[in-house]
Amino acid sequence: MRTEPLIDRLANELKPVRRRTGWSDALALVVLCAVELGLFLAMGMMRPDMPTAMHLASFWWKPASLGLIGLVSGSVAIMSLDPVRSPRRGLRWIMALIAVCLASGWLLEPSRDGFSTLTSRLDWVSGLECLYTIVALSVPAVIGLGLLIRRGAPTDHAGTALAAGLAAAAWGAFVFVFACRFDDPLYVAVWYSLGCGAVTLFARCTLPRLTRW
Amino acid sequence: MALQPRGYGGVVQRLSARGSGVDNHAWNAMMVAAQAGDASSYHRLLSEVVAWLRRYYARRLPPAMIDDAIQDTLIAIHEKRHTYDPTRPFGAWLAAIARYKWIDALRSLKAKPTEVLDDDIPVADHEEAITSAWSLERLLATLKPAQSQAIRLVKLQGLSIEEASKATGQSAALVKVNIHRGLNRLTSLLRSESDAD
Repeated sequence: MRTEPLIDRLANELKPVRRRTGWSDALALVVLCAVELGLFLAMGMMRPDMPTAMHLASFWWKPASLGLIGLVSGSVAIMSLDPVRSPRRGLRWIMALIAVCLASGWLLEPSRDGFSTLTSRLDWVSGLECLYTIVALSVPAVIGLGLLIRRGAPTDHAGTALAAGLAAAAWGAFVFVFACRFDDPLYVAVWYSLGCGAVTLFARCTLPRLTRW
Repeated sequence: MALQPRGYGGVVQRLSARGSGVDNHAWNAMMVAAQAGDASSYHRLLSEVVAWLRRYYARRLPPAMIDDAIQDTLIAIHEKRHTYDPTRPFGAWLAAIARYKWIDALRSLKAKPTEVLDDDIPVADHEEAITSAWSLERLLATLKPAQSQAIRLVKLQGLSIEEASKATGQSAALVKVNIHRGLNRLTSLLRSESDAD
C-alpha cells in the first residue's frame, strides 16, 4: 500500500473524537472502585468486630498503606497512558513506598516471640482464603485499568501493566481490609503480599498482550 | 512526582531548527482541528508528517522497512489521535509514537524470514541506505561480537542460519540464540535510551 492513498483513506474516515484526559480516566476508575466497595459492604461482608478493630493502630495501617499504594500506582498507570510519559520513575517510587509501608508495619508491631509462634500467626488456612479473596476483588480494577490502557497510548507496555497490576492488587486488598479479621502485620505482610503479587504478575503478563496498538 | 516525561523537547526544537517547512504551532493547530473532525487539516497534517517520518526512519531502519513503518505510524496516529493533549507540543507526541513504532519494527525483524536478494538491484539514491547502515553499525557495535556477527550475516546480509553457522564456526542453534539475544539487547538498549532522554 502506498502512503498517499492511506492518507486519503484516514482523512476520509476522520470523525470528531472526545479527547482523553488523565482526570476522566481517573474519574471512571474511582466510580468503578466506589461501586465495588459499596456492593461489597452492602453484601454484609464487613467484619463483625469492626468497632473494636478501629481502636487498633495495626488495623489503620492496612487501609492507609494499601490506599496509598493503590493511589500512587493508579496515578502512575493512568499518567503513563500518554505516549510521551514513561512509568519507570513512578515505579521506583512505588517500590520505595511498598518498602516503607512494610517497614512501618514491622515497627508498629515487631515480633517478640521469634519463630516459635510463626505458624500460628500466619494461619495458612485463613491466609489462603485471604489470598483468593484479594485476587477476586482485584478483578474489576484489572478489567477497568485494562480497558483504560486499551483506550490510551502507552509506549512502555511492561511498565504500565506493572503499575496497573499493582494498583488493582492494592485496591483489591484495600476492599478486603474491611472483611479481614486479621490485623497482625506479619500475617498481612505475608498473605496480602502474596495475593497482591499474584494479581500484579497476572497483569504484567496479560495486559501487554491485550493492549498492543 | 511519579512520572518521567521523555525528552522529546529536543526533538521539537530540532524540528523547528531545521527549517524544513515544519511549523510546530501549525501542526498543533491542525491536530486540534483534526480532533474536531476537520478532514482537510488532517490530510495536510498527515502529508507533512510523512516527510518528517521518512527522515526519522531513514536514520534508523533498513530502507525496505521505511514505508511500512511510516504507514504503521500514520495508522497509530489516527487510532490514538484522542490522546493528543493540545497544551503540549505535537512534535513530542509524534516523536513518542514514531519511536514506539520504530521499536516495534525492530522487534518484527526477529520474526521476519530473511529474503535472499539478487546481486544487482537498481538503487536510485544511496543516502538513506548509508545513513541507516551507519546507525545500525553503531547499534551493533554495542553487542557482543558473536551476536553482532550473527545478526549481520543472517538479518542484514541474508545468509541462512546454516550458512551463517559455517561462516562463523558457531552451531546453528548458537547462531539463533545469538540473533535472539542480540535483538533483545538492542530493544532494551533503545528502551533505556528512551528512558534516559
